Amino acid sequence: MVSNQKTPSQHNSTLFISPMINNRRQNLFITPPNPQAQSLFDSPGSNHSSFFNLDRGNLNPEASSSSSNAPPNSHGNGRISAAEPLTPAEKLRLWRHDALMQHQYKTAEFIGDKVLALTDDPNDAFWLAQVYSNSGNYLRAKSLLTSKPEFEKSVSCRYLAAYCLIKLELWDEALDLVGESNPFRKDEKYQVRNSDGGIKLEASMCYLRGLIYANQNSFEKAKESYKEAILVDVKCFEAFNELINNNLMTPSEEWDFITTLNYRDADDNDELIKLLYTSRLSKYLNVSKLEEAEHILREEYDLGDNCDILLSRADYLYVQCNFDECLSVCEQILRKDLYNFDVIPNYLSCLHELGGKNKLFLKAHQLAENHPTNPMTWLAIGTYYLSINKIIEARKFFSKATLLNPNFGHAWIGFAHTFAAEGEHEQAISAYAFAARLFPGTHLPNLFLGMQHLQMNNLNLSEEYLATSYQICNSDPLLLNELGVIHFHKNNFGKAELFFQEALGAAKYLNSDSKTWISIHANLGHVYRRGNQPFKALECFNQVLKISNKNDSNILAAIGLIYLKLGNCFKAIDILHDALAVSPSDPVASDLLKRALESNKNNGALFLKNAGDKLLDLNLPTLQYRQRQKKQDLIGTHQADLSIQSNKFTTPLTNKTKVLRKDELTANVIQRTHKDADTTNEINLIAHDLEKGEDSSDEDEEVIMDIESD
Amino acid sequence: MTDKDQVDRLRSDLLRAYYTLSDINLFQAAKWCAEALNGLPEQKESSEDYPDELPHGSIGDDDPRVDQNKFLLAKTYFNCKEFDRAAHVLKSCKSGNALFLRLYSILISVDKRATEQTDGSINIGSVNELTDQQDVSPNNSKEVVNDLNSRLSKIIQESENYLSKNDKGNAFLYYLNGVIYNKKKKYQLAQSNLYNSLKLFPYNWSAWQELIASLNTFEEAITFISKIKAAKSSLSSNIMFQFFEVVVLQEFYQQSASLFDSLNTLISIFPTFTFLKVQQFLIAYHSLDYFQAEATFDQILVDDPLRLDDLDTYSNMLYVMEKRPKLSFLAQFASMIDKFRPETCCVIANYHSMKCEHEKAIMYYKRALMLNKNCLSAWTLMGHEFVELKNSHAAIESYRRAVDTNPKDFRAWYGLGQAYEVLDMHLYALYYYQRATNLQPLDKRMWQAIGNCYEKIDKLEEAMKSFEKALSIDNYANDDGEGVVGVEPHICYRLATVSEKLGNSKDTYKYMKLCFEQEFEWGITDETSKARLWLARNSLENRRFEEAYELAKDLTHSNAHDIEEARSIAREARNRTSK
Repeated sequence: MVSNQKTPSQHNSTLFISPMINNRRQNLFITPPNPQAQSLFDSPGSNHSSFFNLDRGNLNPEASSSSSNAPPNSHGNGRISAAEPLTPAEKLRLWRHDALMQHQYKTAEFIGDKVLALTDDPNDAFWLAQVYSNSGNYLRAKSLLTSKPEFEKSVSCRYLAAYCLIKLELWDEALDLVGESNPFRKDEKYQVRNSDGGIKLEASMCYLRGLIYANQNSFEKAKESYKEAILVDVKCFEAFNELINNNLMTPSEEWDFITTLNYRDADDNDELIKLLYTSRLSKYLNVSKLEEAEHILREEYDLGDNCDILLSRADYLYVQCNFDECLSVCEQILRKDLYNFDVIPNYLSCLHELGGKNKLFLKAHQLAENHPTNPMTWLAIGTYYLSINKIIEARKFFSKATLLNPNFGHAWIGFAHTFAAEGEHEQAISAYAFAARLFPGTHLPNLFLGMQHLQMNNLNLSEEYLATSYQICNSDPLLLNELGVIHFHKNNFGKAELFFQEALGAAKYLNSDSKTWISIHANLGHVYRRGNQPFKALECFNQVLKISNKNDSNILAAIGLIYLKLGNCFKAIDILHDALAVSPSDPVASDLLKRALESNKNNGALFLKNAGDKLLDLNLPTLQYRQRQKKQDLIGTHQADLSIQSNKFTTPLTNKTKVLRKDELTANVIQRTHKDADTTNEINLIAHDLEKGEDSSDEDEEVIMDIESD
Repeated sequence: MTDKDQVDRLRSDLLRAYYTLSDINLFQAAKWCAEALNGLPEQKESSEDYPDELPHGSIGDDDPRVDQNKFLLAKTYFNCKEFDRAAHVLKSCKSGNALFLRLYSILISVDKRATEQTDGSINIGSVNELTDQQDVSPNNSKEVVNDLNSRLSKIIQESENYLSKNDKGNAFLYYLNGVIYNKKKKYQLAQSNLYNSLKLFPYNWSAWQELIASLNTFEEAITFISKIKAAKSSLSSNIMFQFFEVVVLQEFYQQSASLFDSLNTLISIFPTFTFLKVQQFLIAYHSLDYFQAEATFDQILVDDPLRLDDLDTYSNMLYVMEKRPKLSFLAQFASMIDKFRPETCCVIANYHSMKCEHEKAIMYYKRALMLNKNCLSAWTLMGHEFVELKNSHAAIESYRRAVDTNPKDFRAWYGLGQAYEVLDMHLYALYYYQRATNLQPLDKRMWQAIGNCYEKIDKLEEAMKSFEKALSIDNYANDDGEGVVGVEPHICYRLATVSEKLGNSKDTYKYMKLCFEQEFEWGITDETSKARLWLARNSLENRRFEEAYELAKDLTHSNAHDIEEARSIAREARNRTSK
């Protein structure tokens, strides 16, 4: 009676010690034996397995036979077990288990306690502790699990105890319990197959270790632990999820890692699992592979409408800056599953990007109503405030989100953005730095750090950060753009051009009307301008103007400067006027305009020649016509008419400007002093100013565009 | 007989065009077509060759029945002014015309929203007081405008997508592209698109109008016209092209025999077409032949009494002619017809301006602009009003808007120049005067203004040249060497003073003399008196005492100081001669 329970090894899962496991066929993946065989697939807790079974049923016929066998089998089991009379303890265990599954914790506790008292078996202690922890009483569960040394020896008990400690946020104790490294690693038998189809406890322990490390801010160790967990058992999705969601690995690391996994643990589902995992990887690399995976999942597995596949699609679209499409995919997901949290960051960023304030408001309210304790809610509220430009409030809510979950990267970056938006570089830097610590695997925090330092004119520091970022991800057009800007500032035009070209290459797949694309082009134009290639520069700028939906005064000013350098000051003035029309207080443009006008003054002769003679020639017919008319007048009437006519001639223009009393208006006179210096020198000076204006404005754009693009 | 054939063909063409245009909801163009149709001579009998079956959307590339039901639904929504809804209905339609209607609805809705969001943004004049408040919202409104602009780009993208796929093209989509490119000030692109549109469907007057708007200088216009002519397509022989040419020449203030010839030909074909009469009126107005212009417009009002179009221009002319009673009548009359038409508002504003109620005038101009923010003359005239109120900054802003909506308006450029001159910013003023001169090189005042500016910024050489130009314009085309006709003493005097500053005494003498000589033609003016004094002084210095005496003794028209000086010169000269 006491000895009918098995001791689980690290290669087993809790399925192994579930009641009646010994009666089940080995290859059947049904979690808890359920007294009511009819409701097998709906019973809580068996979700997972039924999901797999159903899928498999659709896929390979030979598997489907086994799956269709399942219900009769469990019937059979029931019959068999009915044939072999159960011991009283076993009956109690079944009772306990059913009560647990039906969330009747009082019953489960009552019975479990009695079973434990009867058997004193670690497995029964495990299940009782399970009952405690399910009802939220982690401390009790933990103290039960650590009450006896034999309990501590059991792997499953240790796992649950560690889990409870983590829930209680007692990180150090939890780490003591699971050990600082995997105690089973010396076995070197990663290949040991799990016999029961559940998640190996060893993997779960590794996952817990990762969780602890992550909370202790040792992300490198956490990453290793998570990786180990997946290596031990590929089914430990929890660890995979942590790795990917928190960007603990660089994109290339991710892609390397995914190939080293051992999918045999997933049995017949290995292909599916591999594809599913692949679809979650970073979208910066191997786009073709991603698309292939997605295609297979859609076509062969018929998972095209599955939220996770759609989410992967949304991620991909987001990385491509195709916000419109991304938003529609996100909305599709939300239509299917209103309370899906995974999609919310993408959804929020898209709305922010596209100015969907109203929808943001609605979503934030929905979330606040339904999930007041979820950090995502506060992220949504913060994003809403950020997009209506209420920085202070936005910061408050972002910080609330980080309080609820200190490892919530989106919130940290949003928090940092609020400082950046107010020009508080120091604080922004410290917040970004925190985010960078949280996510060693993503290049964005470093990129933002670089951008902040660039704005503070710390070129060297900035370059360092950008270089770090570049090591992590070398294909982000934004990053390449920033690197180009750095080299531009260092007067390294050749290199800058190289980077911008590279950025353009990387942005090839972006929508051509995206802001990044525009700012890269604009920057390239500046490089050409400084590099004395005015015509190439003009081409770039014109491209920008053609695509950009707004007339950027900086671009126009730059074009004006080029024309000025080319000596076409009439055109320059024209363009500069346009620039000032867009932003009337732009100091660079107005200064340039002053200079252009100055040079127009010196070009008088040219104008007189051009305008004068050419225009007069063009208007010759009219003139001649007038002459003829006049002569006729002269013949017909006397000369007095002529003077009348000439007088009339002056009227329409001065229509309503009869008298301009200048003296009275002198009060309004604005005194302007013109410095007389070598024009070309000054133009260069101005050019310098212009660059500054230009680049910083670019960065502004980027900051906006990158909000939560992680 | 051929003439009648031509008219008949024109009739059926216009009729078909009318149906096409109204089918696709281009109301203004359809209106023009219908007016042209009624401008043709009356038909003797209701002839049988009248097209019975109404052609339906025949211009399209595709079967009209495609998307027909959706199209009809969208059209009714459009007519009920539910533009977004119309666009939504047509979302999945394939045909070119349906796409046009959809994008056109989007365009209108974008435009409408932009106006609503920015409150029409006519807070000029109150700018100075409102700057603080304005600072609160510009971000917001800018954002809105940017957003709308990006939607415009999307419209273009979509229609270009369609056009690149269909090699036959769609005239209306091209037209739409042209309109948007014009909005974005990409005139080259606009021209090519509109040209394509007109090649496919020439009877769309709105497209011609957009084309005219995209031509910014006379030179450009001339080259464009000759290019079309050289292309020898069917377009250049179309009657619509003649209309186009006439209007272009009119808009650039041209008068020539050929212009009148082609205008007369058109009038002979369309004897009762008001549009042509308006062109006649405008040409006369531009050539400052006010009495002729007034007569023409009076005739228009008799023929079509409830017509408000172009009434604002007419009222401007009445203002200049200082016909107060007539202007008052016109204002009452217009407000009786429709108070809330931009033209009416302009007329009323002119009326108030005439009564020196400038604030009220400004209010009405603002109303006109609120009703139609592209109301061309209102911006300029409002600038004039601000100048009257000595609010140079508001005037500048207003003029700027004017040149922004219509860079061909030389009055606005000139006004800008004047306003900046008042502010002592001569470099700016110079540039604006140059722009004005480019548009109106035959106007002496432009050259005078430029000369003034050059003088102010110490570019005396250029100033000389400009004044000389002003002086010589009348004689420029005068090859037959008939001598100088009508030299303005003012210009001569300026030339003289400038050359004096340059130390060029010979020129100074020449121009002073010229100026003085004008006394016989123009009567005694300030300038001639000054020239007389200078000449007298000069003769005295050169010891030509008799001449000096002759000159000085007759100087009576000037200020006390000058007269005193003249007397002393006369006295001294007499003393010297008597010695």
